[in-house]
Amino acid sequence: MATTACFIIVSRNDIPIYEAEVGSATKREDAAQLHQFILHAALDIVQDLAWTTSAMFLKAIDRFNDLVVSVYVTAGHTRFMLLHDSRNDDGIKSFFQEVHELYIKILLNPLYLPGSRITSSHFDTKVRGLARKYL
Amino acid sequence: MDSPTPLQPNRTDLILQTQIVLHCRLRSEQPESFQPNLASDYVRPLKPFRLAPPHGNLGQRGKKKMDPARTPLGKLLLDEITPVVMVLSTPLVEEACLKNGLSLVEMLSPFCVFNNIDVPVRTASDQPYRIQKFKLRLFYASDIRHPNLEVAKERLKQVITRAGEKDDLYSEPPQTSNLLSSSESEIQPSWFEFFNKELVRTMSFSDHEAFDHPVACLLVVSSKDEQPINRFVDLFNTNKLPSLLNDGAMDPKILKHYLLVHDYQDSDQEKATKILADMRSTFGLHDCRLLCINSSDHELIERQDNPWAPYKSGDLPSQCLGCFLNVDDYNEIKDLLQDLSSKHIIPYMEQKIRALNQEVSATRKGFRNQIKNLWWRKGKEDVTDSPAGPMYTFSSIESQIRVLGDYAFMLRDYELALSNYRLISTDYKLDKAWKRYAGIQEMMGLTFFMLDQSRKEAEYCMENAFNTYLKIGSSGQQNATRCGLWWVEMLKARDQHKDAAVVYFRICDEEPLHSAVMLEQGSYCYLLSKPPMLRKFGFHLVLSGDQYKKSDQIKHAIRTYRTAVSVFEGTTWGHIKDHVHFHIGEWYAILGMYELAVKHMLEVLACTHQSKTMQELFLKDFLETVQKTGKTFEVLKLQLPKLNISSLKVAFEDHRTYASPAAASVRESLWRSLEEDMIPSLPTARTNWLELQSKLVSKYRESNVCVVGEAVKVDIEFKNPLQIPISISSVSLICDLSAISDELNSDACSSTVGSQNDDDSSNLTTDRDMSSENFSFSSSEVDFSLGGGDTTLVQLMVAPKVEGILQISGVRWKLSGSVVGLHKFDSNMKNKIMKGRRKAKHSPCDNLKFIVIKSLPKLEGSVHSLPEKAYAGDLRHLMLELRNPSEFTVQNLKLKISHPRFLNIGSHGNLKTEFLSCLEKKMASERSVVHANSNNLSQTVFLFPKETLIQGEMPLLWPLWLRAAVPGHISLYISVYYEMGDISSVMRYRTLRMHYNLQVLPSLDVSFQVSPCPSRLQEFLVRMDVINRTSSESFHVHQLSAVGHQWEISLLQPVDTIFPSESLMAGQALTCFFRLKSYRKPLTSTDKVSTLSPLLGSDVRLRPEGSNEPLFDISCSPLADFHHCERLHQKMSHQGDPNAVDFILISQPLKDNITPGIADPPHLFSHHACHCSTSSTSPISWLVDGPRTLFHDFSASFREINLKMVIYNSSEAVASICIKTFDSPSTSGHTSEGTADLSSGDQTGWHDASVVNNIKVTSDLLGARVGKSLSLESVPPFIWSGASSTRVQLEPMSATEIPLQICVFSPGIYDLSNYVLQWSLPSSVDSGNQEGKSQHSGTCQGYPYYLSVLQSV
Repeated sequence: MATTACFIIVSRNDIPIYEAEVGSATKREDAAQLHQFILHAALDIVQDLAWTTSAMFLKAIDRFNDLVVSVYVTAGHTRFMLLHDSRNDDGIKSFFQEVHELYIKILLNPLYLPGSRITSSHFDTKVRGLARKYL
Repeated sequence: MDSPTPLQPNRTDLILQTQIVLHCRLRSEQPESFQPNLASDYVRPLKPFRLAPPHGNLGQRGKKKMDPARTPLGKLLLDEITPVVMVLSTPLVEEACLKNGLSLVEMLSPFCVFNNIDVPVRTASDQPYRIQKFKLRLFYASDIRHPNLEVAKERLKQVITRAGEKDDLYSEPPQTSNLLSSSESEIQPSWFEFFNKELVRTMSFSDHEAFDHPVACLLVVSSKDEQPINRFVDLFNTNKLPSLLNDGAMDPKILKHYLLVHDYQDSDQEKATKILADMRSTFGLHDCRLLCINSSDHELIERQDNPWAPYKSGDLPSQCLGCFLNVDDYNEIKDLLQDLSSKHIIPYMEQKIRALNQEVSATRKGFRNQIKNLWWRKGKEDVTDSPAGPMYTFSSIESQIRVLGDYAFMLRDYELALSNYRLISTDYKLDKAWKRYAGIQEMMGLTFFMLDQSRKEAEYCMENAFNTYLKIGSSGQQNATRCGLWWVEMLKARDQHKDAAVVYFRICDEEPLHSAVMLEQGSYCYLLSKPPMLRKFGFHLVLSGDQYKKSDQIKHAIRTYRTAVSVFEGTTWGHIKDHVHFHIGEWYAILGMYELAVKHMLEVLACTHQSKTMQELFLKDFLETVQKTGKTFEVLKLQLPKLNISSLKVAFEDHRTYASPAAASVRESLWRSLEEDMIPSLPTARTNWLELQSKLVSKYRESNVCVVGEAVKVDIEFKNPLQIPISISSVSLICDLSAISDELNSDACSSTVGSQNDDDSSNLTTDRDMSSENFSFSSSEVDFSLGGGDTTLVQLMVAPKVEGILQISGVRWKLSGSVVGLHKFDSNMKNKIMKGRRKAKHSPCDNLKFIVIKSLPKLEGSVHSLPEKAYAGDLRHLMLELRNPSEFTVQNLKLKISHPRFLNIGSHGNLKTEFLSCLEKKMASERSVVHANSNNLSQTVFLFPKETLIQGEMPLLWPLWLRAAVPGHISLYISVYYEMGDISSVMRYRTLRMHYNLQVLPSLDVSFQVSPCPSRLQEFLVRMDVINRTSSESFHVHQLSAVGHQWEISLLQPVDTIFPSESLMAGQALTCFFRLKSYRKPLTSTDKVSTLSPLLGSDVRLRPEGSNEPLFDISCSPLADFHHCERLHQKMSHQGDPNAVDFILISQPLKDNITPGIADPPHLFSHHACHCSTSSTSPISWLVDGPRTLFHDFSASFREINLKMVIYNSSEAVASICIKTFDSPSTSGHTSEGTADLSSGDQTGWHDASVVNNIKVTSDLLGARVGKSLSLESVPPFIWSGASSTRVQLEPMSATEIPLQICVFSPGIYDLSNYVLQWSLPSSVDSGNQEGKSQHSGTCQGYPYYLSVLQSV
């Protein structure tokens, strides 16, 4: 399990719709905003890279000191962004794919408005479980 | 490395080439005219075929053509990498110069830049070219050393601080869109360039590179000096020379130039000329010069654009600089330096290049030398790996190659420079002289850039240099910074801004200040990259701001954050927004700019996503900052607490007034329907108004009306979004009350803006108002505190004190006693105003606008002792109290109650009487009162007596009766209408609305079944089932009354056998039987049973014999009234059946379980069962009458027996009846049909499904009867004599007699049931009835009638 891992789902309108700190490191007070800053800035890179490839998993696209940003872009241009300090590309890929499945299930919910915040606690526990499994 | 083709100086080529390109383009347009001029100016007839290379390959690749010298980096390099001239001067020289406010170097510096020097130079391989631009750098010998790092840092800090001072922190921050549209130079602060230059200069005079080594030495002596010749010699004393020359890093034998400075103000030129002659003889003819300065005698020379101004950093006014230097001096200095560079320095360098090149060629070039060198280097494999590498003296070949390269670079012979750099690069690498290696790589990168060749290689070299510098540790850090800056410039020149930003990020070192500047520059690179990377821009600005803060440059920190704020504006990334706003707020507070601080901190207050500690921190800091301002802030749209606008409710009273808030929350339509026939219709009401204040009313017909002195209440919900408690105080409404005259004149469009509270009176009220009243209205203030995540509904009030227009424009509150939050109810919000449909179509703004009219009387009312809970059937006496606090009278009162079944109006007479005693049976004479009252019931509106006036202190009391009719939750609405005694008021009438909720619990379930007595006409058997449904209460069943004078009810059994325990315990059920007899005469049945007839009836006392408690009079006021209501209510079950009977069961709660100490009011329970049908099956009933036992001698003859059948038609129509007799027993088909009819008909008499099993009992009974008749089949037959079918028409409510006759032939017991009655009614009569309940026609099976005929003896 990675010591630092911050997972964010960004809607196509660049609004974060799900956030989770899934790292094992003890939480620092300023970590949350630093992670947000890094991931937010990485959107600029995603914007460029997303159209250059047909793969959904963009691998590690940006880094800040020792933190790496890995991104997975769904067909609807929702971006799963993971900030991590571990180098486990396969694990991250599997993590993204499984989260994608979960996300699609959320989308299938007729009461869920696409692009709105994901508040499902079931989704949250599942994502954290996946993070423990793969990261 | 050793290129076979001779490398040519290509500066000229470059110019040449561009010219040719230009030329070709022009020629296509203008065929002839251009070529000669251009060619003669720039193109010397060189080898024509050298025109295209070496840049041709670039052109072929189609890349953008770029003149490296024109790029910022090119300019920088041409500026910075230029020959250094060491200046050695005597104090007297300086003294002479200082008269102009300048030092010697400062005085000369402006003339060291030559834009068109045009010196012909030859390369090492004799290729001639010309140098156009040239620059010399002059330094005092004492300055030629490695600058002190600490001093340099201090200077850089000053540069930054000074730049920070200039910032205007109050101005509007730049907008992102503006940033994107403006060019690089506009965006970036101008001091960046200056800072970068300064930073690069801190690296100068390093011993690992040669371009900072002095090329020449200028020795300056004043003409005033004693023994000037000796002074010259003294000046070049090795002790004073820079360490570079002394420690062997460079050749001490450098070009020397001797200058004699003469001050005209001191003496004539003659002495100076003499000295010059001496000098020339001593030092050589060409190396000596005389410079005369300060020629302008005592008269100051003013210059428009002072050439010295840019070179002097001090605060002196630029006019003073060079004030004694006139045009002659000016020209003389210029000539001096031009000569120095063109005639001495450049030729000297050229010569040196040539010499060095020859030496290098001899020792290092060629195959043999290379092998030798390689072998030799290999031998030194075990050299110590010190960071600086081995020491190279000026005489070593490595140093010489480096000098050669640098000189070539300075003379723009980049090809030569590059070849030499390449040559030396590998050597340094092998020697592990990393710093020198990095320096060489750096220069190679720059040379590649200047050649505009191979970008990749240039970048590779720079990166290599950068990494190598970093590798050697802290000493290389500074060099790495310089290298990085050049690298960045190189990338920028090629529009690779994104890469440049990354490099900036890498330049950052431990020094926070430098990092801050670098990060900021990096952020601008992101902005300039295509497409712009705004998020990265913002992120790096924030990083930079943090670094600035670390190095105490708060102003810069704020500047960067402010730009970042514009980038992150409207972002939904909560942590980012909070971080930026909170920190910028914090920093503003440090600077004491509290207003701005508060403005930013406001943004982060409602941070629900933050942790509790962060929320606390935010709030604490915010409140501290606010306190420091010493003011109370008024903040529009304060986020804390959150206002739930959709919860906004306005309650006001115009002609509708409410007794309680609960009444106000009832739907308007409910009240409206209740008051429908009580209040005058709207148009007439309006005409009443129009007569009086037509102008006002017509103008503001749409507005709401409220009355002076009566509060308008606004309910609004506050929610605390945080997890920490907050305290809110002084919540009040922002209102505006403007006088009517004002509003009318200004045509109402002037919406009176301004937050006017009761503290500061209106600026719009007229003078008259101001003088007469201090405050035009009063409003309530509410204080409360909200826990984490709590929601509170607050009721706010405003009571106008004068007439006018009242506008509620918003709400204000105080957060933690220091910040005032305002919230305007703007027009686009949806507020829910509960008042009627008339308002619904207007904009919400109008809904908050009220016309205030003159004060009116307002009734207050309440119902005393109305319980919240009651058992069903509970009958109580209540009191309605109406009070009029004002001195005006009200009159013409009317009252209406929504549920007359539950609540009834008593008469004023029984106001005083005892509750139970008034119900007890009295003499017949007293009943007249009661009847009058029951007449009132016909009207749904109760009119109070005309003379009723309510005024002053005397309240009006009026009795009410409550009867909990059915279990459930009941809302009782009472509306009182009253008119103003004062006819001149705008409003003629008002209504008072009261609302009460009542919960009714089930008590006794009473059901009745009435079945006709088979043996007697007009007599019925009543079965009463009572179940006590309460959980704990016990009841006495007091009496049962059958309502109606035609009924008489009596017990079948004595009371004691029915009620052994005298009371009905909780859950107990009871069944008892009664006999009910109808006294209705068949012939009088035509008179209609009026529903309004007095309720007479017969009662049965159900108390044990011993008790002598009086019976209650069911015809008495409340009981009768409620019974009437019950009748109306239960009507639908059985309408219009004249044979239906109503029962009233009166019970009382058992007194035992009531504590004796409390004087409990007597309770009475009444249960009404109405319309219990007596005619269960058919509208007709009959009775067969005749002898029961006969003696006859059958031996003589058969016996004829006469019987009589009495048929009674209980319906209201003429019935045609057909009697059919059968001689044989009836078929089973008939009987089953009859059974079904019976059982279905029976149900009509029953109310409650709980007694369903009784129906079964009945049908069993019938079945048994049928069975009996069948079993008599074996009985000897008898025959009906006479017609087998008789048909009669029967008038309604009448009886007829039909004679019947049978013949019996033998003794026996005969069952005369084998006949049927077929009846039918005209259908029109029944059309209004419920379908299926009564029949149009039917068949009735005959009753068993047993006749015993005995043989007479």
